[in-house]
Amino acid sequence: MNALQSIGTGLGMALFGWLLQTTISGVTRKVIARIQKRRGPVWYQNFRDIMKLLNKRSVTHGWAFDFGLLVALAGAIGTAMFMPVAGIVAFKGFDNFFMIIYLAALGVFGRALSSGSSGNPLATIGVMRGLTQNIGYKVPYMLLVIALISYYRTSSISEIVELQRVSGWSVLVMPLGFVVAFISLHGMLGKKPFDTYLAPAEIASGPLVEYGGKQLGILMIAHELSVFIEVSLFVNLFLGGGATLPEFLLKYAFIYILSSSLGAVMGRFRIEQVVRFYYKVPIALTIVQILMLAVMRGGVR
Amino acid sequence: MPKKERPSRFHPVSHTMQTVEVPTEKISPQEQAEAWEKIAHYFRANSLWMLNYCTGCCAIELPLVMTSQYDMERLGMMPMATPRQADILLVTGYASLKTLRRLIYTYEQMGTPKYVVAFGPCAVNGGIYHDAYAVLNRLDLYLPVDLYIAGCMPKPEAVMNGFKRLIELIESGQATGWKDYERRFDWYKSNQLEAVGEVYIHDEFHE
Amino acid sequence: MNIIHLILGLFLAGIAAYGIGRLKPAAASWLTLAASWAALLILFLGGDTLAGGNAWGLLAFKMTPLGWFFSMTLLFVYSTNTFFNLSVPAAPTRQAAYPMLYLISLASTIGVFSAENWLALFIFWEIVLWSSTFMIGFGKPGRGSIIYFGMSLLGSFMMLFAILVMGTAYQTFEVKGALMAAAQSPGPALLVFLLMLFSAMVKLGITPFHIWMPEAYHEAPDHFAPVLAGGLSKLGAFTALMVTSFLPASTLMAQPWQVRGLPLLTYILLTVSAVSIVIGTLMAIKQEDAKKLLAYSSVANSGYIMIGMLMGTPMSVSGALVHLLAHALATTVTFMVMAAVARQTGTTRMDELGGLLHRMPITFLAFLTAILSLVGLPPMLGFVSKWLILQSLASQGLFLVAAAAIFGSIGSLLYAFRILSTVFLGQLKPKHRQVREAPAVLLIPLLLLSGVTLVLGIYPYGLVQYTAKIENSLGFADTVQITGLSIQGNNGNLNALLIMGAFAIGFLIALGIFLKAPKSRKVDLMDTYTGGEFIYSPELYSYSTNFFAPLERVYAGLPEISRLYEALANRVRDLGTLVQYLFFSPLPSRTALLISVVTILLIWGEAI
Repeated sequence: MNALQSIGTGLGMALFGWLLQTTISGVTRKVIARIQKRRGPVWYQNFRDIMKLLNKRSVTHGWAFDFGLLVALAGAIGTAMFMPVAGIVAFKGFDNFFMIIYLAALGVFGRALSSGSSGNPLATIGVMRGLTQNIGYKVPYMLLVIALISYYRTSSISEIVELQRVSGWSVLVMPLGFVVAFISLHGMLGKKPFDTYLAPAEIASGPLVEYGGKQLGILMIAHELSVFIEVSLFVNLFLGGGATLPEFLLKYAFIYILSSSLGAVMGRFRIEQVVRFYYKVPIALTIVQILMLAVMRGGVR
Repeated sequence: MPKKERPSRFHPVSHTMQTVEVPTEKISPQEQAEAWEKIAHYFRANSLWMLNYCTGCCAIELPLVMTSQYDMERLGMMPMATPRQADILLVTGYASLKTLRRLIYTYEQMGTPKYVVAFGPCAVNGGIYHDAYAVLNRLDLYLPVDLYIAGCMPKPEAVMNGFKRLIELIESGQATGWKDYERRFDWYKSNQLEAVGEVYIHDEFHE
Repeated sequence: MNIIHLILGLFLAGIAAYGIGRLKPAAASWLTLAASWAALLILFLGGDTLAGGNAWGLLAFKMTPLGWFFSMTLLFVYSTNTFFNLSVPAAPTRQAAYPMLYLISLASTIGVFSAENWLALFIFWEIVLWSSTFMIGFGKPGRGSIIYFGMSLLGSFMMLFAILVMGTAYQTFEVKGALMAAAQSPGPALLVFLLMLFSAMVKLGITPFHIWMPEAYHEAPDHFAPVLAGGLSKLGAFTALMVTSFLPASTLMAQPWQVRGLPLLTYILLTVSAVSIVIGTLMAIKQEDAKKLLAYSSVANSGYIMIGMLMGTPMSVSGALVHLLAHALATTVTFMVMAAVARQTGTTRMDELGGLLHRMPITFLAFLTAILSLVGLPPMLGFVSKWLILQSLASQGLFLVAAAAIFGSIGSLLYAFRILSTVFLGQLKPKHRQVREAPAVLLIPLLLLSGVTLVLGIYPYGLVQYTAKIENSLGFADTVQITGLSIQGNNGNLNALLIMGAFAIGFLIALGIFLKAPKSRKVDLMDTYTGGEFIYSPELYSYSTNFFAPLERVYAGLPEISRLYEALANRVRDLGTLVQYLFFSPLPSRTALLISVVTILLIWGEAI
C-alpha cells in the first residue's frame, strides 16, 4: 500500500510539474511579448499547442525515431517523479542528486537517439551542438553541486532543502556559485545566447527539424518536464526550495521568467564561443568559490 | 507555355462548395470520434504554426504582422522552421516553374491537417505577372488553397483579417483542402506534372 | 577438480587446438568454445571456494573472492568471445596458432588471479603478455603489437623489479604476505608500491602509459579486440587493488602532507588518473575510427577504476569493482559490435558507415545497451558504478578529481553519441543497402553480454554484496552496506530497482500517449527537410567527419604524449647509430678497439 502511495505521489508530482511548467511557459510568452511591446498569446497557449500536435498526423522515420522519443518522455517523467517540491517527496531518501542528473540525461540521450535516426544531417548537427554546449555548462554546475553536497553531507535534495531551512539558503553559502549556477541554468534551458542547438535560422531548429504531430507533442511534453526538473532542482539547491507551495511557486516563476527575459534581449553565441565562455568565467568563478568556502568555513569536509 | 484551359473536371476547392460528409449511422465510437474531432478543431484553430514560403513580394507584409504592431502571436500563430512542424503553408505571391516543384515537395512533407493560404492576385490568376513566361497563373490547380487574401499587396490588416477567417474556417471544420488533395491526388498530380514536366538532372551528384 | 587441473586442462586444450587447427581450423575454434565454456562452468560452480593446490611444491594456487571475481569477469569475456572465433573467415595458416594462444592466455589469466606466489604470478603475467602480443599481430599490419609489447615490457620490468625487491627485503614471495610485510616495515616499501602501481597502470592504460591502447586495439584482429579491451587490461586492476589494499599509501606516506585526509602520494596518483580521464575523453571525441574511439574511451574508464581503487574507501573500491565489470561487459560488446559491423560491411571508419540501424537492428540494440552503460546512464550497470564513485568523490571533497570525473562522464555522452550516430543512425549508404544482420552465432554473445549489463543494472544488489565480501577478504574494516533494496552511500541511497520502476512507469505513460495519438506515416530516410531542395545522394547527405569540430578547435593545441615517446625512441635510435658507428664498422681497427675495450672491462670487473 505504501509503495502504491509513493508511486501515486510521484505520478502526481510529474503531472504537477508538467502543468506548472506548461502554464509558466505560457505566462513567460506573454512576458516576453510585453518586453517586445506585443500583447502575446493567452496563458494556456502551450496546452493548445501540445493538444493540437497530439491530434496531428505526422511522419516517422523508423522505429528508433519513435522509441527514442518514448525513452525521452519516460526519462523525463521518471525523473520528475523523484523531484521534491515544497516538502512533498514521493520516494523519501531516494531523491538523490546524481540519480536525478543521470536519469534526466537518459531522457536527453533518448532525444538525441531519436533525432539522429531521422536521417537529417541538420538534426545531427543540432545534437552535436547541444552536446557540446552540455559539456560547457554541466561541468561548473555539477562541480558546484558536489561542493554543496560535501558541505551539507547529503546528496538527497529534500534533505538539502531541510538543512537550508536551518542554516540559510545556499545562495548565502556560495554567492559566486549562485551566479555561476544561474548562468549554467540559462544554458541548460537553452535561452539566448545559448540556443545554438536550436538556431532556427541556421540549422532549422536542429534536433527538432524532422518532428511534427504527435512526435513533436511528446517532445514538447518531455521538454516542459525537463525544464521543470532543471528549474526546481536549482530552486531546491540554491534558493532553499520552499516550505509552502506558494513560496516554491514564487521562486520557481521568478527564476524561470528572469532567465527567459534575459534571453529575450540577447543575441546568440557561436558554438565555440559558448564553450570558451563556459570554460573561462564560470569555471574560474567556481574554483574561486570553492577556495573561498574552504578558507572561510575551515574546509569543505 | 500555353495558357491553361479550365478543365471540366475541376471543382473549386472545398471550403466554398463541399460539405463534410456526415455518416448517417449512429455508432458510438464514430460519434465519439466526431465529438473529439470538434474539440481537436478548436485546438487546431488556435494554434497555427506557419511556414512562410516567400515566393513573391507579398512576403514583405509578414514582418509587420508578426511584430509588435499587429502581433499575430495573439491568435496563437507562430512562424516555424520546417514543414514537418508547420500547419499552414503561406504562398506569398506567384508560383513560378521553379518554385512550384519546391512548393509541392514542401506541402507533401507537412503533416495533416494542413492548410494553404495564398496571398494576392498572383496566386489567383497571375496578377500583374499573368503573361510572364515562367509564372504559373493559378495556384489551386496544383495545391488545394484554403484561403486567398486579396490585395496587391494585401495590407497587414487584410492579412490579419484573413488569418481570423482561416481560424473560423478551421474551427467550423470547413478548411478541408488537405482532404481534397488526398481525394483528388491523381488530378492534382497530373496538373503538376503537366506544369513542371519531368526534370532530368545529370551531374555528379545525381547519377 | 581444483585450480591446477583447470589451468592445466586449458593449457592442454590449447596445445590440442593447435594440432587440430593445423588440420581443421573450424574444429579448433569449436574446441576453444567448448573449453572456455567448460572452464566458466567449473569456476562458476566451484565458486570462490574452489580448491586450490600446490603443484610440485613450487606453484601454489588459492582462490580468493577477489581472484574469483576477476577470473569470472575475464572468463565470461573470453568465453562469449569464442563465438566470434567461430565466425573468423578461413584463417591463413600462420593463424593456426590463434586458438592455442587464446586458450593459453585464458589459462594464464586464471593463473594470475589465483597464484599464491609473486613469481608464479609474474610468469603467468608474462605468458598472457606474450600470447596476446602474437594475437594482436595477426590483425592489421602496423606497429600496434610492437608498441603493446614494448609498453607492457616496461610494466613487466617494473613489476619484476618490485618482486625481487620484496623478495630480498622481506624474504618472501608470497603475494599477500610480502605486501603485508612491506606495510609493516618502511624500507623499500614505497619503491615497491610505486613500481607495482606503475606496472598496473601500464596494463590499465592510465595516461602516460596509455599510448599502446589505441594502436593495439585498432590493429588487433576484430575478433580478438573484445578480449583485449574488455578482458586483458583488467589484469592491471587486479595487482593495483592488491597493492592499494594490502600496502595502502596511508601507511607509507601518512606524513608529512595530506590533502583532504589523503596522503599526498595518493592525491598525486588520483590526479594522474583524473588526467587520464580527461585525455581519454578529449582524444576519443576526435577519433575518426570507431575502434580507436572506443580505445580512448577505455583509457578514460580505466581512470575511473583507478580513482575508485586509490581512494580506498569501501564505497569507492566497490565502485571500482563494479565499474570494472561494467566496463568489461560494455566495452566487450562495443568491440564485438564493431567486429560484426566490420564483418558485414568491411570497415570500421565512421565516415564510411551510417544508418546500419535499419539493416542490423539486433546488433544496434546490443550496442545501445553497451553504450548507455559506458556513459553511465540508468538502468545499466555503468550507472551503479559511476554513482558509487561520484558519491565517494563528493564525500571526500576531492573537487579537482570530481571535476575530471564529471568531465569524463559528460564527455562520454559526446563520443558515445558520435559513434552511435555515425555508425547506426543517419543515412544508410547506398553500398550498404544489401547488408544483412550479423549471423545468429554472433548475436548470441552480444545479447548475452548486454542482457547481463541490463539485468545487473536493474538488480545490482547481489553484485554489490559480493564486492562487500571482497572488501572483507581484503581486510577492510567496514564494507559497503545494503539494506533491503537500497545501497547505502555516504550521503545518499541508491535503489536501482526503484529507478527502473519509475522509468518503466514513465515509459508506459509515454507509450499510452503515443498509441492514442493518430498513427504516423512511414517515410523514407531521404524524405527529410532540405529547405525545399531535391537531394539524391545519401552518401553525401550525412554529418560524420570532423564531428565535434567546434569543440575540437578549442583544444586543438593540446600536446600529444606519443610525441614524447617518439622523441625518446629517436634518442635511443641515435645512440644506437653512434654505437654502430664506433664499434660495428667494416674497419678492422675499430673492431679491434671494441674487442680490447670489452677485454679491459672484463679484466677490470674481475679485479673488483
